[in-house]
Amino acid sequence: MSTYVDRNSKGNIKISRPNKGQMRFRILLIATVLFTIAGFFMMDYKGLELWPAITGTIENIKDMFLSPQFNQTTFGNAVWQVIVTLSLAFLSTVLGAVLSLFLAFGTAMNLSKPWLSNTIKAFITVVRAVPTVLWVLIFAIAAGLGSVAAVIGMVFHSIAYLVKAYSEAFEEIDEGKIEALRATGSSYTHILFHVVIPQTKSFLIAWTFLRFEINFGVAVAMGAAAGAGGIGYELFMSSGFYYDMNEVGAITYMILIVAIILEVIANKLKAAA
Amino acid sequence: MNVETLTRPEQTTGKKTQEVVFPFPEEKADDTRQADRNKPVIMEISNIDKSYSANKKVLKDISFDIRKGEVLSIIGPSGAGKSTLLRIINRMIEPNSGSIRFQDKDTLNMKGRSLRNMRTDIGMIFQHYNLVDRLSVFENVLHGRLGYKSSLQGIFSMYSEAEKEKAVEIISELGIEEQIYKRCDELSGGQKQRVGIARALIQDPKIILCDEPIASLDPNSSKIIMEYLRRISRERDITIIVNLHQLDVAKQYSDRIIGLNDGSIVFNDAPEAITAESINRIYGSKLDELIVE
Repeated sequence: MSTYVDRNSKGNIKISRPNKGQMRFRILLIATVLFTIAGFFMMDYKGLELWPAITGTIENIKDMFLSPQFNQTTFGNAVWQVIVTLSLAFLSTVLGAVLSLFLAFGTAMNLSKPWLSNTIKAFITVVRAVPTVLWVLIFAIAAGLGSVAAVIGMVFHSIAYLVKAYSEAFEEIDEGKIEALRATGSSYTHILFHVVIPQTKSFLIAWTFLRFEINFGVAVAMGAAAGAGGIGYELFMSSGFYYDMNEVGAITYMILIVAIILEVIANKLKAAA
Repeated sequence: MNVETLTRPEQTTGKKTQEVVFPFPEEKADDTRQADRNKPVIMEISNIDKSYSANKKVLKDISFDIRKGEVLSIIGPSGAGKSTLLRIINRMIEPNSGSIRFQDKDTLNMKGRSLRNMRTDIGMIFQHYNLVDRLSVFENVLHGRLGYKSSLQGIFSMYSEAEKEKAVEIISELGIEEQIYKRCDELSGGQKQRVGIARALIQDPKIILCDEPIASLDPNSSKIIMEYLRRISRERDITIIVNLHQLDVAKQYSDRIIGLNDGSIVFNDAPEAITAESINRIYGSKLDELIVE
């Protein structure tokens, strides 16, 4: 009997010895399950008539997805509004990506000084902690409710997301490649443009496009919530204003198609890079 | 730029090299060991000390001269400070004290532009080649010219026609011109190391530092790389300083060997002068206890 192995109560050998972190994680997991179950029993079901609610929802979904049609707006206008939303997403992604690239050079531990890296990381964490809608509303004070505030807010969140993604990609770069270029007498900018960017190009493109997809979704929401225009505003009008389930369905389908097209393009881009 | 490829016939040498294809004429690859002790000194290293932590010194009072066009091997056990010593020469690592004179200047005082200038005179190749795999052979070789460029010229890859011609010439000379537009991750280890040599050569250096250049290569490729390095020193009068793990390779190819043990130089002489006793001092064990290929 080896004294180095742990045994459970039945005397079977344990194959791992959980450390403190793993123990904490287990406790967290168990607590989450317990609270979720308890939550179901503590909810207030008094006003809810379950059966009519379920049938009503199914009815609405049927109206939405099985008979989509445009009533208040036209197909042409809807396409135009989708393009407006795509433009909002594109603009905020491009602006965010350019700014993020330079901030990420300052954030990556292997390319920067610790104080600079930590400062940017702290700033980024604060930006990420506040939801996009709140940023848009904050900027709406200066820029007025509309597309300008929406774009600034989305750029903010794009930066928070992309700086983290980019700088982690940069930190993966083999230190030897940077050393090799330093040894040729290359300057810092040479190393950025001849090692760091070429070596991480496919990651950069993949992350940027993923953010573009996310921004498209956010731009739809901003159209509804912050008056940024585009297809999100049309969706808000037909659902919240006209209660037109058929039109909600038609618009949802359009958004879905655009999202699928973006996904396909993203995969093609990743393969090409 | 046609490169002569020929197989070395078995009878001319006793070495088992018949399967090695040398992409350069045989007579030039011949063993022309000529430890020329009268060549001018190009770098004087004196009293270098280096420690990474307060109680452990990696290098202790290292002093030696480097002569023009010689092949200088640095041997010693792992952790003896070979890599650190090599990187102090081009100041990738800063020593704690001492001085290095190179081309009548003290390199340890250099900063910014003058430091970069100094580095353009010293090429470097690595065990793991350290090429940017996602770029072509050509682009990687041209990286050797970045030390001569301003930031803007570098960012937009503004290499002159003359530089490109020179790069093609060197690439052809090293027998990798067929791979010139291939991405570096498509190459074999031996080919990658040749790209590394080309990147160092295009710098037009006075010294090339080689950090374990053959440690990741098979015996055939190792031989080709060592032959190239010696040929570079003979034909271009470039000093080759090479860290090696293989004692026999060091004996065969160097004009001079420096033995490091625990941060001190314990041997500094021609390869012929190496004895069982000096090996004992360098590696801390008897010759028959070592694996010598």
